[in-house]
Amino acid sequence: MSFREVLNSGKFVVTAEVGPPKGTDIKEMIHHMELLKGKVDAINVTDNQSAVMRICSLAVCKIALEHGLEPILQMTCRDRNRIALQSDLLGANVLGIRNVLCMTGDHVSAGDHKGAKPVYDVESVQLLRIVDSLNNGRDMSGNELMGTTDFYQGAVVTPEANPLEPQLIKFEKKVKAGARFFQTQAIYDIEKFKEFMKYARRHPVKILAGFVVLKSAGMANFLNNNVPGIRVPQELIDELKAAGKEKALDTGMNITARHIRQLREEGICDGVHIMAIGMEDKVPEIMARAGLL
Amino acid sequence: MIITKKRDFQELMENIKGYRSFFLIGCSECASLCGTGGEPEVKAMREALEAEGKVVTGGIVAKTGCQVLGTKTELKKYKEELDKAECILVMSCGAGTQAAVEIFEDKPVFPANDSMFLGNMTRYQMFDERCSLCGKCILDKTGGICPITACPKGLLNGPCGGCKDGHCEVSPDIKCAWVRIYERMKRLDKLEELCETIIEAKDWSTSQKPRTLYTREEKKK
Repeated sequence: MSFREVLNSGKFVVTAEVGPPKGTDIKEMIHHMELLKGKVDAINVTDNQSAVMRICSLAVCKIALEHGLEPILQMTCRDRNRIALQSDLLGANVLGIRNVLCMTGDHVSAGDHKGAKPVYDVESVQLLRIVDSLNNGRDMSGNELMGTTDFYQGAVVTPEANPLEPQLIKFEKKVKAGARFFQTQAIYDIEKFKEFMKYARRHPVKILAGFVVLKSAGMANFLNNNVPGIRVPQELIDELKAAGKEKALDTGMNITARHIRQLREEGICDGVHIMAIGMEDKVPEIMARAGLL
Repeated sequence: MIITKKRDFQELMENIKGYRSFFLIGCSECASLCGTGGEPEVKAMREALEAEGKVVTGGIVAKTGCQVLGTKTELKKYKEELDKAECILVMSCGAGTQAAVEIFEDKPVFPANDSMFLGNMTRYQMFDERCSLCGKCILDKTGGICPITACPKGLLNGPCGGCKDGHCEVSPDIKCAWVRIYERMKRLDKLEELCETIIEAKDWSTSQKPRTLYTREEKKK
């Protein structure tokens, strides 16, 4: 079953993030793909994440297909204008890539080419409309395509954004623009997430909760202080502290597994998206602890 | 107004190192308010150049340095000083510098300032950028706050995921443009309008360079 079919079947979906390497050595990345194969429903390939230049998402998605994994192509608006975005989308479609996650993209000032000219010719809402248009046989200027695309398009949302209202207005615009599924920023507070889901359920879209495994109390504090839209509750930080240095990662994995299990058992959302950030090899273990394998 | 910043003096000296004599042109408009090309700055530049062993043959503060014909007329009475100068140093914006380039076909013209942006003056010599001169105003749709300028990504349909406590991921000194727009639309009781409007991808052909505009009506004979 394809990612789209799995989501629509009502099965609890698991996707994992794969970050392309900086350079041409893809041995470790392939190893991670092999570990995830047959376990996750799709892998989500980042697009020069944090504005750090790496192998393009498109090439890695193609490699994923060759290794028997279903890819979700992340597309940001930071580096390409509307011509390049549409052209890459057509290219992705003919290569067999069927899922696309439309994002604005971290600003170049966050990355390793700070002098780059940021593009943002269009943004996430407009990119979703572009995908919808390509799916319907026309480019964004209205020109007819010789053969249409067949994308299942998604977007991102930050349930713990502060302030939340402007973020929700944008969420609704993304829904209107054709987003079928959403992947959230990392969540750590299930009760608060339930509140968001009560709201999100009013819209005809699938929601995958985002997870970033906590490796230590220090990391949790770092996320709280530096990453927009992430809030790790104090009780989890205390839990990590109490575990001690050696057991912190194991505890972090337990927390993630516990949360995923709760989301699935209570039917809170449609699936999860695990952003392992260099710990892709731990994803199967987390899934096992969550009762998903 | 056009916001200008004085070019670093050592860099300027490097730019003009092949020349000995100069005529200075400031501007009474934007550059004066920016403190980069008014009377005091032209005087200070003369002194600084002379201290470096250069000769300043003369100088003026043009009324509107970017107005080519007007500036040309103002310069007429400085013929002798201009003839003696090997080159022209312009203390206004890039438009003023290039007005001088048009006026002085046979003399090198150097900029003494760097041109920054179209700015609002918030306090004395404090400027910020609110308009990008994109050629097609969208302020009617965004509560009068321009996200093309106020958002580093120029987003047209709401904040990105980088908004942290109402501030921008690019710098905590920048308040999120879309939080500002949201707050203003809320105050004006226009949130519904904000939610319902998806702003289309911008037609950037309105800012295709170089732009020209002719609005004068030719007199009928």
